[in-house]
Amino acid sequence: MNKRLSLTELQLIIRDSLYMALPDMYWVIAEISEIKVNYSGHCYLELVEKQPDNVNISARIRGVIWNHQYRFLKPFFENSAGESLREGLKILFRAKIEYHEVYGLSLVINDIDPAFTLGEMALKRQQILKRLEREGVLTMNKDLDFPHVPQRIAVISSSNAAGYSDFITHLRENSYGYVFYTALFDTPMQGSDTQAGIVRSLDRIALHAELFDVVVIIRGGGSQTDLSWFDNYDIAYYITQFPVPVLTGIGHEKDLSVTDIVAWQALKTPTAVADFLIECMVRAEDQLNDMSRGITDMSLLILERNKNLIDSARLKLIPLAKMSVSEFRSELSDIIINMINTGKEYLMNARLAPENQRSRLVSGSASFLSASKNAVNQAKKSLSAGSEIFLSMRKNEIAGFVNMLKILDPDNVLKRGYTITSKNGRIIKSGRELSKDDIIDTRFSDGPVRSKVV
Amino acid sequence: MAKKEFSFNQAVNEIGKILREIESGEMDVDRLSSEVKRASELIRQCQKKLKTTEEEINAIFRDLT
Repeated sequence: MNKRLSLTELQLIIRDSLYMALPDMYWVIAEISEIKVNYSGHCYLELVEKQPDNVNISARIRGVIWNHQYRFLKPFFENSAGESLREGLKILFRAKIEYHEVYGLSLVINDIDPAFTLGEMALKRQQILKRLEREGVLTMNKDLDFPHVPQRIAVISSSNAAGYSDFITHLRENSYGYVFYTALFDTPMQGSDTQAGIVRSLDRIALHAELFDVVVIIRGGGSQTDLSWFDNYDIAYYITQFPVPVLTGIGHEKDLSVTDIVAWQALKTPTAVADFLIECMVRAEDQLNDMSRGITDMSLLILERNKNLIDSARLKLIPLAKMSVSEFRSELSDIIINMINTGKEYLMNARLAPENQRSRLVSGSASFLSASKNAVNQAKKSLSAGSEIFLSMRKNEIAGFVNMLKILDPDNVLKRGYTITSKNGRIIKSGRELSKDDIIDTRFSDGPVRSKVV
Repeated sequence: MAKKEFSFNQAVNEIGKILREIESGEMDVDRLSSEVKRASELIRQCQKKLKTTEEEINAIFRDLT
């Protein structure tokens, strides 16, 4: 109590004692509870260790990554872990204890091991999956029937995310001309509000679940690769309980988050989700076309079969018809015989009928007969008259022919004073054919004369 | 929604049923024409659903969000 120290002197003693007691670098596990980068590029963190309840804090210290380190550490970590350094993340880092007489105790971090964080995240993911499995809900969304036509789509995304507009554009501009209806439920897609936001949106969609065929959860890729927001029990549980199939496209190339794993189908990007939906529509339309073709083909087959049936029936029908006609004919002759017999019977009966009736019948018959006779006579007369005219006409015609033949007959020609001259049996038609002393024959109607040309 | 919706799934199921019945050969010609007519009407409606916008649904979706 004798020596009095200035505050600075005390702080320096503390600092030197700390440096002497803890001279090394230490690998430390802690969770980032706050992180910010100031204007000169230095990164300030608050590091904590939580009690097993994950709420109360059992240890806390400030940390700093100087700008010359942070420039390299940040991209290295993000590339390896696929996560940005952010609050809530558990990290394994190497640090030196630093004590400043103004700012007090802090850890200067000069290395971070991304493998630890990856392991931590995988572990956390495994724990969530195991819990969901234990509760028997892990595959409940996958077990839903996927709709034939996923046309009415509830979109959980951020309205200003590039992935969202890619998705909408891709759906709208599908080359098949399919129509999609989308309703956006605007939701933060990263940061500590992600879980609450997604759960709230799912709740709102669930109120109108019958309006939707499918729910899609999408966000753009790019530098936003923080998948661990989707390694979340609450989000996953809500999806498993959701009555409508959920598709995800939260843009991670390497790993699947818990959200992806419980979803009906996980796709890598929002565009891939749009392609998947379009593909479903194509399948639906193909199925429709197949059935349509099937119905047409089968119907034609049935019609053809029936036509053949009718044709073969017709072929069988013709001989059948002939048969039945001949049957009918013999039946008919039976009927005629019956009729004749009945007629005879009738006449016999008629004979027994009263006299006047009989005489009426007789006189009726007589008058009918005389009328018939007259008609026959008339017909005969006109027939014979016609025949006579016809015959006389033919007679004249024939007489004409006979006359003509008579005129042309050579005998008749000779009789009219003409002669026929011939030499050696050949008929001479011109005087120039003859010369002096030729012997010629002249034929008269009553005989030939031989003479000599002088 | 009070309006009875056209269900693609139900329509496809019905078309499939008609197709199977025709394929089984149990369909007589008298019924064939009416069933084919029914199926082609359902197919037409399904095609329409895939490619024609229903303003009604758009309006409901706008109200929701």
